[in-house]
Formats: sequence, C-alpha cells, structure tokens
Amino acid sequence: MAEIAVRTASVLHNKHIAPNVFRLEVEGSFRAKPGQFYMLRSWRHDPLLFRPMSVFDRTEESLSFLCATRGRGTDLLSRLSAGDGLTLLGPLGNGWERIDERIALIGGGTGIAPLYYTAKYFAAKDRSAAIDIYLGFRGRPFLQEEFAQVAQRVYRSSESGEGGEEGLITEIFNPSGYDTCYACGPPAMLAALSKVCQGAGIPLFVSLEERIACGIGACLGCAVRTRKGMKRVCKDGPVFRAEEVFFDG
Amino acid sequence: MADRSIRIGGLTLKNPIIAASGCFGFGEEYNEFYDVARLGGVCTKGLTRRPREGNPPPRVFETPCGLLNSIGLQNPGVDAFIREELPMMKEMGLVVIANVWAECAEEYGEAVEILSRSAVDVIEINISCPNVPGQVIVGAQAQQAAEVVRRCRSLCDKPLWVKLPPTAQIDAAQAVEEQGADAICAVNTFRGLAIDIETGRPIFANTFAGLSGPAIRPLALQVVYQLAAAVEIPVIGIGGITSWQDAVEFIMAGAHAVQIGTANFIDPLASMKIVEGLQQFMEDRRLHSWEEIRGCAHEGSPL
Repeated sequence: MAEIAVRTASVLHNKHIAPNVFRLEVEGSFRAKPGQFYMLRSWRHDPLLFRPMSVFDRTEESLSFLCATRGRGTDLLSRLSAGDGLTLLGPLGNGWERIDERIALIGGGTGIAPLYYTAKYFAAKDRSAAIDIYLGFRGRPFLQEEFAQVAQRVYRSSESGEGGEEGLITEIFNPSGYDTCYACGPPAMLAALSKVCQGAGIPLFVSLEERIACGIGACLGCAVRTRKGMKRVCKDGPVFRAEEVFFDG
Repeated sequence: MADRSIRIGGLTLKNPIIAASGCFGFGEEYNEFYDVARLGGVCTKGLTRRPREGNPPPRVFETPCGLLNSIGLQNPGVDAFIREELPMMKEMGLVVIANVWAECAEEYGEAVEILSRSAVDVIEINISCPNVPGQVIVGAQAQQAAEVVRRCRSLCDKPLWVKLPPTAQIDAAQAVEEQGADAICAVNTFRGLAIDIETGRPIFANTFAGLSGPAIRPLALQVVYQLAAAVEIPVIGIGGITSWQDAVEFIMAGAHAVQIGTANFIDPLASMKIVEGLQQFMEDRRLHSWEEIRGCAHEGSPL
C-alpha cells in the first residue's frame, strides 16, 4: 500500500473537454492504484475542505483527474492553469483489485473517471485480459478515442441520443460472458447493475461517492450503512462488493 | 528554557494542543502523518455506553469557512473502545481523553464508571452534542449539567473535563465547577441548519447539525473569554482554531489549552504545525510559561 502523503504539485494542463467537464493533470510521480482517489485543494480556508477525485490516469511523470464542475471547489479547480500549484492528499481508499480475465467496466457521468486508468492498469498487468468498457453519458460522449485505446470494446449510450445509442447504459449492458464487473456512477445506475449482476451470478464491485471531510477515515463523515455495518467510503471504500451495499439508502 | 507544558487539575500536558473529539478518530489515522504523541493529548470520538451506528448520510455539508456535521456519535461503545482502541492509543504514547455522551445522568455514570477503571487519562463529559435525534443539549441548562457532573464525579477519580455547548451561560459553567469538574471545554459546535432548495427539505435527516471551522472562531473566542473570567478551573478553548496565531488568541482570552478539530481536515498536519508554531512563538517572545500571557486580554490584566 502506497503511503498517504500531502504533496504540492504543479499543474501541467487543465483542459476543458465537455460542458462542465475538465481534465486536470499535475506533474510528478504518484503511486495510486486503480480506483483510488486523491483529495485536492488549491485554496486556503474557503471552501473549507479538499475535493475528492478519483485517478483518471497516471504515468511515470503525471497524474490526472477528470472532474465535473459542481460547486465552488470544482469551479476553482476548473480555473487552474499550467504552473499553478495544487495540494494533493493521497492516494486514498482501497481501489479495485483485478481478479479475473473477462472484465466489464461500467461508468455513468463522471463515474467514468476511474475506468480509464483501471483498464490501462489491468491490461498492462495481464495481456490476456479482455476488457470491455460501457460508458453512459447524459449528453454528447467524450474521451472516446482515449477509452478505445485501453479496451477491447467500448459501448456508449447517451440520454440525449447525441453521438451514441439513445438511452441508459444499463439498457445496453449485459453481464453474461464476464467474470467480474466494476462500476462507478450515480446510485440509480449502480442499483440497476447490482440487480442484473446478482441475477446473473456475476460479481460486481461498485465505487461509491459521498461527501468526504477528512479523507483518511477519522471523522466518519462519509460513513454508509452496509450489510457489514457502517463503512467509511474514504477508507473502507470507495470500492465495495455490490451485495454489501444498500442502494436505497 | 521555556516551559511549554500546562497543568490542568492534577494532570500535566506537554503542550497546550489537544486533538478535538470527533475529528481525530482514535489517533491512528493521523499517526501515519506524524507522531501524534507530540500533541498535548487526544480526545477520542464521542463514546457511549452501548455501540451506536450514528446518523444516515449525508453527514457533512460545507458552509462559508465552516462545516456542518451530523455524525450522530457513531462509536463502538465504551467496552469495545477499552478492548480494541485504548491499548493502541496507549501504545502510541498518547494522553487519552475519553469523550463520553449519554442520554441521562445515570447512563453517563455507567459509562464513566467503566472508563474510570481503564487506562484513559481524562474523561471529557460531552453534554453538548447537537446531533442526537430527540435529545436536548443538557449542557445548556445549569441544573441538568450539574446533575450529570455530580453523578460522574461520585463514580470517578480521574480528571473530569466538561464540554459545554456554545449556548452555555456562565451559571452552567459555574454549576459544573461546583460539582467538581477539573476543567471546562468550550465550545462544542453551534447548532446550524442547511436546506436543499431543490427539494425544500433540510440537508440532514436530523434537521439540525453542528457548525465548526473558522466561521465560528470569533463566536467561540468570546465564550471562552467570558467563561475564563467566571470560573477558577481551567478553560480549554475550542472553535475554529487553524493556526498557532489562533491558539495564542484563545490563550490570551484565558484558555489553558486549546483543542484542534476541523483544522485537521484542512491539513492533516495542522495540529502538529500549531504545536511547532507555538514553540517558536514562545521562543520569539521569550516566554517562560504560558501563564505570562494567559488571559492578558482581560481588562485590568497586566501586559
């Protein structure tokens, strides 16, 4: 397990890639595993907290995040430009472990963020791995070329019908033929996937999102009730076995 | 040579910086960043007689320079704490301050009695948690506060600190002192509210939540200033302290020590940096002890 640390890094690029979506890349060698996240901040006391962001990509020289502008914190992050400083706390959380060969990665909205590095990492570790990626967008799909480079097949859907099959990604996805499925996205999507995977008897791992304060497991601000008791999304998660999670809250 | 330590009742702390309850777990997580034993002490997550699951999410919500929380005292209960967490805390070399909450004086007594037989160094009676459904904040009422402290005092020889809500009046602090409290910790979070304007409903399941962070610092400071003038026992200041300068301000208002809570979320190293900053301040000002500046902001004080 890589040691958790607070680091300051310099922004290499900050690219606007879709309405309210940006890709923030910082310089440096970081040791994150797929599915782990960092807490980011580029301000002092206001907003008060870091913003948790899962790792979109990692190379020997850089680390990048795919973020959606939602409030003041992400708005400030979206305005960073090359050379600006960013404080990172991490790597945090458990991440996902690869256990089988035929893998489906399913993402909805900015829940697609952790899938790129996951696919890249799994494929690099085991060349026989067959990885399919399912991406659900609300509007026009993005990062198609990038995802195509790390997966065998990329399926996409768009709620608006722009540039993809119209509808929800859960309508396209079929778990049969996969050994393990991994998903990140809105609770309704995860709930639907959980149902279909459970029905098919295929293991599903889900990455949950919560408001996070400390990020290291101390404050219990991100705890969720699971079949195994209260669990901290930041420390025990963010990845959980789907059957442990209560999707209805 | 400057003496950085402070005395509270019969207990000496190596410095006046204490990690606040609820913000520091049982110290283990922050010990990955620095040697937590460098702090004057660590307050545990609020403990109860029996385990508690706490409140459903969301449990935290940001406000300008502030944080609303509604954790709801999720904890393993005093027995599991003593069995599973306390040995590790003692192993780490911490001065352990066990924060305790209960629904009534009798239950406070039960939990405190159990803890008094353990290796904890101090018991901090929390009569100010704003986050328990259906429960009033006992510490706001002098008579009720006194009853809880009387009960705990009769069952416990260890130092007893009492954590008061920001709404506590001077009479509550004095009542607690009269019942044998060794120190007063002020303040717990301010009761706050946030509403989701999309749904028109409160953000938190328990409607209200506790506000902490730099947003409450001047409010907390004036409470500490007033209480320090009203009681003889030490006052431990809490509320939005994020820097050594803030800590000095509380000491000048009359606090013996301070607790660091939300600042740990802004920077995991915050508490240690405050310890270092205070040490530098003492050297720069050539102070021999904290007594030289404690309470200096009060009218008629020397300096």
